[in-house]
Amino acid sequence: MTYNAWSMVEFSARLLSRNERDAVLGDFLEASEAPWKALFGVLGLAMRRRLMLWKSWRPWFAAFGLSLPCSLLLMYVSISVICTLERLLGFHLGHWAPTGHEGFLMLLCHIFLLITWSWTSGFAASSLSPRTLCWNAAVCLLVGTRFISMHTHFDPVSPYYSLLFVGPAIWGVRQGRRMLRLPLRHAVALAATMTLLMTWAWTSNALWVFNWLLLYPAWYLVATARTVPYNPTRQVASSTR
Amino acid sequence: MLGEFEYLLITTAARLGDNAYGAAIREGIEEVAQRKCSIGALYTTIERLENKGLITTWMGEATPERGGRAKRMVRVTGKGVRAAKEFYEAMMRVSKGASWAVNQTGNLS
Repeated sequence: MTYNAWSMVEFSARLLSRNERDAVLGDFLEASEAPWKALFGVLGLAMRRRLMLWKSWRPWFAAFGLSLPCSLLLMYVSISVICTLERLLGFHLGHWAPTGHEGFLMLLCHIFLLITWSWTSGFAASSLSPRTLCWNAAVCLLVGTRFISMHTHFDPVSPYYSLLFVGPAIWGVRQGRRMLRLPLRHAVALAATMTLLMTWAWTSNALWVFNWLLLYPAWYLVATARTVPYNPTRQVASSTR
Repeated sequence: MLGEFEYLLITTAARLGDNAYGAAIREGIEEVAQRKCSIGALYTTIERLENKGLITTWMGEATPERGGRAKRMVRVTGKGVRAAKEFYEAMMRVSKGASWAVNQTGNLS
């Protein structure tokens, strides 16, 4: 095998797990496989591995039952929060203003809710199907930004505003990958606080009815919370999902 | 019941004994079945069979001809042997009376 061709095979083998990469590359070397055959072999195996992940219900639910609807709603909430802030500060860069009467206190409540909604959605999506997260994120951002652009085509800044939720969501994803499940006490405290604040916002006519959907990742985290102390070995075993 | 490729893999691994690992199994399948065996099909089937408890695998030693890379060793479990035997017997039963199966012995020890 030429050096360049072999480098390509080795580079593409990074898509495989470390042990599998060793075994597969070793097999190719031992069989003196042609470089292009080895390359297609590695890519074929990597593709099969990715496709096999979708045989379970978890990635489908994480993508279409959680990530996509939550991202769409969170994009609107992000725009709403920034527009409210602009209105309260007395300037407005865009033309689309989905909010009207909220004061600073309600704005703080919305900011807290936006952060916790995003965090819990990211955590839940990550604990449901950690290995398909990149696909989920790509689909959500593509569909979401397209959807937002279609509905706010007259406003050039809204698509950028709509990505405000991404930071807390990534934070939630990272935590979810590390912990997989929250301690029960923390999960209950978080979900209860969110429910209380949403109820207050709802009774003040400052909450869209569909925003209630954003509460279910928090209660999902309660339902799947761990009641036993943190055990790193068990967490590693379950992270193979 | 096993699939055809699963049976091929288990039988080849059982035949190779202590020398059963990825490249050797692949070569064995290609030699006996007279068909190409992709690395993707081989390793995904190995994983599936391991999840079913029909084989066990572990990382073996690295050799110079493999560029210092380890082998993925395979051993057929008792459950795997039983599953392969069931598949073989079923094929023998279903083939009884077929023109291409005349004079073939299907008895297992």
